[in-house]
Amino acid sequence: MSTERARNPKTSNQIGGHAAVALLETYGVDTVFGIPGVHTLDLYRGLAELGMRHVGVRHEQGAGFMADGYARASGRPGVCCLITGPGLMNAATPIGQAYSDSVPMLVLASVNASGDLGKGRGRLHEISDQRAAIAPLAGLARTVRAAEELPGAIADAFALFETQRPRPAVLEFTLDMLAAPAEVSGARRERKARPVAGAEDIARAAALVDAARFPVVLAGGGTVDAADELKAFVEKSGALCVTTTAGKGVLPDSHPQTLSGTLALSPTQKVLGDADLVIALGTEMAETDSWCERLPINGKLIRVDLDAHTLTRDYPPTIGLLADAKPVLAALTAAIKPGRQPDLARAKAVREANAGDLDQQQQKHVKVLMAVRAGLAPDAIVVSDMTQIAYTANVTFPLERPRCWFHPNGFGTLGYAMPAAIGAKLACPAREVIAIAGDGGFLFTVQDLATAVELGLALPILVWNNDAFGQIALGMNERDIPELGVKPKNPDFQALAKSFHARTEKPGSLAELTDAIRRAFKADGPTLIEVHEQADYLT
Amino acid sequence: MATCGELLVQLLEAYGVDLVFGIPGVHTVELYRGLPMTRIRHVTPRHEQGAGFMADGYARVSGKPGVCFIITGPGMTNILTAMGQAYADSVPMLVISSVNRTEELAMGDGRLHELPSQRNLVAGVAAFSHTLLRPEQLPQVLARAFAIFRSGRPRPVHIEIPIDVITMQVAARDIVAPRNIPLAPAPRRAELERAVAWLRDAKSPLMVLGGGAADAAEAARSLAEHLDAPVIHTANAKGILPPGHPLRAGENMAYPPIHQAIREADVVLAVGSEFGETEMYPDPKPFVFDGKLIRIDIDPEQLVRGFGADLPIVADAGAALAEINRALGIAATAANGDTPGARRAAAIRQAAKKHWWPAVHRHQKIIEAVSAALPDMILVGDSAEHVYALNQSYEAPRPRSYFSSSTGYGTLGYGLPAGLGAKLAAPDRPVVVLAGDGGLQFTIGELAAAVEAEVPLIVLLWNNDGYGEIKNYMVGRQIQPIGVDIFTPDFQTIAKGFGWEARRPDSYAALGAEMKSAAARNRPTIIELRADDPWIA
Repeated sequence: MSTERARNPKTSNQIGGHAAVALLETYGVDTVFGIPGVHTLDLYRGLAELGMRHVGVRHEQGAGFMADGYARASGRPGVCCLITGPGLMNAATPIGQAYSDSVPMLVLASVNASGDLGKGRGRLHEISDQRAAIAPLAGLARTVRAAEELPGAIADAFALFETQRPRPAVLEFTLDMLAAPAEVSGARRERKARPVAGAEDIARAAALVDAARFPVVLAGGGTVDAADELKAFVEKSGALCVTTTAGKGVLPDSHPQTLSGTLALSPTQKVLGDADLVIALGTEMAETDSWCERLPINGKLIRVDLDAHTLTRDYPPTIGLLADAKPVLAALTAAIKPGRQPDLARAKAVREANAGDLDQQQQKHVKVLMAVRAGLAPDAIVVSDMTQIAYTANVTFPLERPRCWFHPNGFGTLGYAMPAAIGAKLACPAREVIAIAGDGGFLFTVQDLATAVELGLALPILVWNNDAFGQIALGMNERDIPELGVKPKNPDFQALAKSFHARTEKPGSLAELTDAIRRAFKADGPTLIEVHEQADYLT
Repeated sequence: MATCGELLVQLLEAYGVDLVFGIPGVHTVELYRGLPMTRIRHVTPRHEQGAGFMADGYARVSGKPGVCFIITGPGMTNILTAMGQAYADSVPMLVISSVNRTEELAMGDGRLHELPSQRNLVAGVAAFSHTLLRPEQLPQVLARAFAIFRSGRPRPVHIEIPIDVITMQVAARDIVAPRNIPLAPAPRRAELERAVAWLRDAKSPLMVLGGGAADAAEAARSLAEHLDAPVIHTANAKGILPPGHPLRAGENMAYPPIHQAIREADVVLAVGSEFGETEMYPDPKPFVFDGKLIRIDIDPEQLVRGFGADLPIVADAGAALAEINRALGIAATAANGDTPGARRAAAIRQAAKKHWWPAVHRHQKIIEAVSAALPDMILVGDSAEHVYALNQSYEAPRPRSYFSSSTGYGTLGYGLPAGLGAKLAAPDRPVVVLAGDGGLQFTIGELAAAVEAEVPLIVLLWNNDGYGEIKNYMVGRQIQPIGVDIFTPDFQTIAKGFGWEARRPDSYAALGAEMKSAAARNRPTIIELRADDPWIA
């Protein structure tokens, strides 16, 4: 078929669109998310003729969030393919989310022809300077004007994903580049490695660990691929371990030394304050991790991060290592002395105090969350939105593995959960994936329910309905601001989902909720499961 | 004493703002504190993209800026596309957002909703973006915004206020009235005299009217009738000459008869148009002028772009046309169907009609049934097959009554929210949204906003089960169709689930009747037409 012909340089006229797609293939890209448009036709010629999987979405915001979910689930970059102007701007919010959560995302966009750039001629989809518009959200933003620049540009993007703090890379392709004849046969992959710490630095850090009386590990999103190394280090060092939301599950919640993802809770923060050494790995230690003005770091601090700026920012470390957490943990474990007994009694007491720290509404959330957990396999992926029940889940939802809990943490956008869950499911078709969204967040990107139906994904979507932007209503009440714009009129979610030909469930008890989730995993399409905050069985 | 946030809403009210679109967030709650004390209405969309498009539709109908309150970060990235559309189509829009605290700006601490630089992000789609560092700056910054809206080329303006500044106290004496906004420029005497001399001596003059002439309809009409000049309307100029006016000569400047008429005219007077490629759909070509070209535009840069003009005039369209009319001694004129100009216009119009593709005839017939039912309607289009078609053929009843996102930026998902904004600006006129199935899905959450805001909007949905326009392009270029034959939901049940009425008329007569009932209803209605409906020719 056409795929074979396209790969044979003798029989087909190859253009920039082919060259770009052929390079992506050599880098292991197998799926792109997007909506074709007049400006990207030549890129789609490459996709169609080289047989790459294309997932058609209903709004480019969905394409971006799907790429995000795909990347968080697989560890490989999610790729989207967008038209000039509105297509790229529609994906700005997912690109911003991926930027703040260090998610590798490759955004391919068209841009007007080289001769038109910057002229303001009123061309279709034109803006004054597209690259400048998107650059603040990207780790890398490049305009590719000739096919000869493609290998370098794509190598740069993958170097960002694989060796630095991963962030979105935006490559904009001029219309003339995409359509011009191009050489395709020489596509090859360049490989680079992440930085490791020098032996001397490891020795200094090991000495700090050995000298500590009560060390505590703070594990962030930068550790999710170092679960085994982290466990070995925690066990040999006898340290207690707390994770951020992005690091959730990297140490199993059943491990006796873990305080789980409770960094935002005061009993855990007190533990950090009591530590004479905190080892912070792959974390910004940011507001959206701790929800306090400043974490109490009273002892020494070792920070390991791929981002030099993070190391020099607001918590200056005693020792800062610009390196990947995984090899650093392995080297540190080998270098430290064994023998310190972990304070398991303290860990247990803190876990209990954290559990007792929940208010009535959070306890209601926990009931629902435990019913959800009961319906999930141990390696299930949960993708949550900005919604009150997810904020509770960030600190309470039990996990045994990393890369199983995705939340739009830093940037904090609505509408993330369902499309990101679609991306996660496509990356890991054999695993269970569930989306949890509030009523407001679900409506932000509801149109991509059609995409889930079209793909026949066995995807439960739990809509936590409180008929409100509940968190904001709360904020207004606390500040004596009259409630305005926070009690929107909601559609009938059951009818809405049915019109998309999705299954629906409205459980009448917690047990029914668990069953509904289990049924949804066996279905041949998505299921909207609606749980209302005021449901009788939650009171 | 008042907070900066309270001062802001008072000043906005004093500038005549009566409507704000936004979704409150943790970062913007303090913008809402003062709002109930004003007469400003607040409408909540379901996505900030909807807020931007609503503001756009409101602005295009009312001529006043559409105003949005937007949260830091994702709220701003969500509204970018809507700002891009407004930028490309010169729509006044005021986007007021929060941003992280002053001492946190650009620090990269990983704060909630944080960006390295929010202003850099919007710079490409705004006339200007300002970070308000002191409440005392507010009167001046707002005056700059309104000066652009009223006296410059209208485009989006972004003002971001750090969270700590929103709650800063301002003394009551600092709460000042709006500043005097300058009037837009009028032409200079020398330019005016040259233009008048050329026009007076012209044997075969022709006028091209763009969106910038929308508020100068009376003067444009009088001048055209006096000069006996055929008139080309761009999509955003539709309605300047009323339907059936004998001097209307068509729209699409790429059609050979129109392209040729522009070339052959001895004087072309172009008012408030970019001559953008989206006015030459789908096959733009370079312009040639054998005669003289006079261009009037509010934007000096626009006058030197593309091809130069023999006489470029930086001026407000209304002021310039009034001066020209006065110099020519034009009193009241009347349309006369039997003049040389009218015969030229008719010839151009008839010849151009031969270039209509089949869908233009199909959709013109449909819209005639709709027009007969709702003669004074406002049509708000998405990027969709029936919109590209009606750009070629539709005659709007008056200015500011036909617009779409198919011009300029060319985005999807515009129709429904922009229509909602349009209806809020003109509650007494029927508003009909022209949306395709793909575009409607882009912003479908706004069906809920229409019900909540009690806006009895009408959506005329053209359902061809996919991205039909792009599929045609792929087939035309021998690209295997990919990503265009998409699963499409059942819009009838979706609409009902959101509390809309939904109808599927089965004849032109039924379509007209459904339109009348929808306009009389106090709830919004979707009227769905399918590309394979047997009654549609």
